[in-house]
Amino acid sequence: MRSVVLTKGVPDFREGQVSFDEDGHLERGKTPTVMNPNDKYALRAALQTKVRNEGQVSLMSMGPPGYMEVLQEGMADVYADDLYLLSDREMGAADTWATAMTAATGIHNLEESPDLVFAGFKTADGETGHTGPQTDWCLDMPLITHVISLDVDEDEETVRAKRLVEGDVEEIETVEAPMPAFIVTDAEFEPTYHRAEHRLKHKDLRDATEDRADEFGEYLDDDTDKDPMDWDRFTMWNHEDLNLDPDYIGLDGSPTIVAGVDPIPKAPSEREATDIDPDDDSDMEQVVEELTPYAAGD
Amino acid sequence: MVEIDPTEHEIADLGPKIKDIEDADELREMLALEEDGEDRVPVKTLIEDRIEKLEADDEEVDPDEIELAELTVADLANLVRDIEDVDVLEDLLDREKAGKDRKTAKDRIESQIEAITGGDDEGGEELEYVPPEEKHPDLDHPTADKQWVEGLDGGEYRDMWVYCETQHGELIDVSREMLGKARELMDEYNEEYDESEKVVAVLIGDDVADLTDEVAAYGADQILYHEDPRLERFTHKAYTEAFVDMARAGGQLAAEGMEDVDWKEYDEPRYTVFPATNNGRDLSALVQGELDSGLASDCSGLYIENAMISNPAKTGVPGDSKEFERILHMKRPDFSGFEYSTILCIDKPFRDFHPQGASVIPGSFEIPEADEEREAEVIEHEMDLPEEWLAVEVTDYDALDSGVDLTGHDVVVAMGRGIGTSPTEGIELGLDLVEAFDDAAFGLSRGVITSSYSFEGHVEQYIGEDRQIGESGQVVEPDVYIAAGISGAIQHKVGMDEADTIIAINTDPDADIRGFSDYYIQGDLFEVLPRLIRAVEDGDLATAVAEASDD
Repeated sequence: MRSVVLTKGVPDFREGQVSFDEDGHLERGKTPTVMNPNDKYALRAALQTKVRNEGQVSLMSMGPPGYMEVLQEGMADVYADDLYLLSDREMGAADTWATAMTAATGIHNLEESPDLVFAGFKTADGETGHTGPQTDWCLDMPLITHVISLDVDEDEETVRAKRLVEGDVEEIETVEAPMPAFIVTDAEFEPTYHRAEHRLKHKDLRDATEDRADEFGEYLDDDTDKDPMDWDRFTMWNHEDLNLDPDYIGLDGSPTIVAGVDPIPKAPSEREATDIDPDDDSDMEQVVEELTPYAAGD
Repeated sequence: MVEIDPTEHEIADLGPKIKDIEDADELREMLALEEDGEDRVPVKTLIEDRIEKLEADDEEVDPDEIELAELTVADLANLVRDIEDVDVLEDLLDREKAGKDRKTAKDRIESQIEAITGGDDEGGEELEYVPPEEKHPDLDHPTADKQWVEGLDGGEYRDMWVYCETQHGELIDVSREMLGKARELMDEYNEEYDESEKVVAVLIGDDVADLTDEVAAYGADQILYHEDPRLERFTHKAYTEAFVDMARAGGQLAAEGMEDVDWKEYDEPRYTVFPATNNGRDLSALVQGELDSGLASDCSGLYIENAMISNPAKTGVPGDSKEFERILHMKRPDFSGFEYSTILCIDKPFRDFHPQGASVIPGSFEIPEADEEREAEVIEHEMDLPEEWLAVEVTDYDALDSGVDLTGHDVVVAMGRGIGTSPTEGIELGLDLVEAFDDAAFGLSRGVITSSYSFEGHVEQYIGEDRQIGESGQVVEPDVYIAAGISGAIQHKVGMDEADTIIAINTDPDADIRGFSDYYIQGDLFEVLPRLIRAVEDGDLATAVAEASDD
């Protein structure tokens, strides 16, 4: 089994991490980069496959050299064997279609073509949910999206998955597809490890990859004179390595542009709030009076 | 005396005529004539709108007078857009530099100056197409030759296509909402651009022919449907191929082996709209990719107008601005709900990015009133779908009844990013408070769901979109709504504003939620919630306080 997981770095949207300018616009430069939270589910799906079905997992991302740290974080999470970064000025500011072409070319460029490609649903910054399906379209593999559980049958060369369907009624579907296949995980994805041997294997892999990620960390550390490019498990490709025409990638290759960004308007106030000091018992009593009628009975 | 007596004209002729009248008094006279004569409501609206527009123009601020420092960059951008005089703009620029010297503000003014002065050199240089082999001789397989780029250059585009998603043989609500919005957009479009372009509905599935009357009643002019028993359930490849085949039928592509049809003469749709559901969003991405174009997902606002663009990737010439006509402006909440972005899908030189695509958040637009009398042209699309397009097989499906229903409860306790310092404990406290009530539900703000908090296993099951309250989640109207650590973005307000009593707990004295709360407890939820839990459990605060001090 050979798997590739696609991941992306995004601004850390946790409270206190996000920085806005005086007009209320997000300041990307000042907001730290972390791995896209939804990608963790793709990592878990790939990890489950690696533990249950053996094989190799590669982690691939497109972005500035700073994303090497995101890859390092992912390496420990998915127990990845090797890391790939598609990085080039020409690839910058790409929308989903230009990103999909680049990612698909990156996957084509691997020595061995994967049996499974995994991607998360949407990124916390762009939030389109398009890049996974569009990358799949370029690769022309059977596509299963919104996957919440996955079983791989290596002998039959098929995957079986449960996926979520939305509409007026929410549904859960079971689908089967031949491999190679492209899997987009949902945030509800749950890995399952039924057998004791899988749980043991899980632990062994974790120990091994933690060491591996630490090793990469030494290469990323500015205080050592090691160059990440020299690490045998890391590969960086630019547009020339991938034979990508700059007119088809990055900003130049993107059909869409962002014409304007407005801060979300503040909700107009329509209620007159009574200020409550939590340390003032008579203040708090007012709140409690509102609540006690709904208290659970004995 | 007025030049045009409206009572002597049909409504359709009046639109363009009225648009050219610059004198509000003349328009008032026309309005009087119409009221005395035919008294048609649409005609009166037309005239009144024109009067309003003229007078609004007059009220415009004088750029020389305004105090730049008091304007936000967004307001400044709006102001600058209407100024055509370079001297005035340069004066503004100097004043901004001398004042707050905001980079974004200066950019806006400079790009407007560029737009005006750049326009003078127009026609000087014609862009010339350079084949990728010549442009990038170092690359041996230009991307244009890759199998996934099948775009057009200089194509003809018309109409707004709406993918009407179905479930079990019925339209889902968002399909009706999109048809209503598309009708409204294209009516305005046809008036503005003096066109007669259509709303085209696309139905794909098993037994979808039965839905054509309903789709017509919601506003479609033309309905394309593709039926196949194997398409009972959505499947990515086959649905995409069927949609794309319709989109490419007729037009210049007919000459290149695509089917020639009598129901379509243009090359590809001008606009496409899809529902932002799991399957609808996937389909939108695949269709737009196959047609080598772009799209914005999860939009909550759409409008069509011309756009002045200075991005050299689109104009082909750095420094120039170019007006692109009939652009679908797609507004969407972005960056995990921190901002609204407006996305445009715009052609570039020698490569068209059409159709301009969007997916729409269910519930963003109203379901229009059905007009049972409306008729539409119905066309059955026929195409053989090879088995390999159906390689992903749906073997089973079930309605998901484990979905969490937050509506219909006495109390809703909702948690926001205020739990950040100790996410698991925050969730535990919220759940404990829910337990203390007879009938309460546990909800979350979007921020908690999109964050990268790591939760411990036992609370993780409570973190998911099925508990989200707000614009893209559930809308609740409990007797009491308790918002702990929620700052109160407008999308959240939409989901809870109908609650009878709103109690907010927040450390920030000025959080937005203060403006729509009845009680505002300024404090740390990790301290306030335990007290509330005890108070509700014990029935009054005094015992709770006493017990707390006993601990």
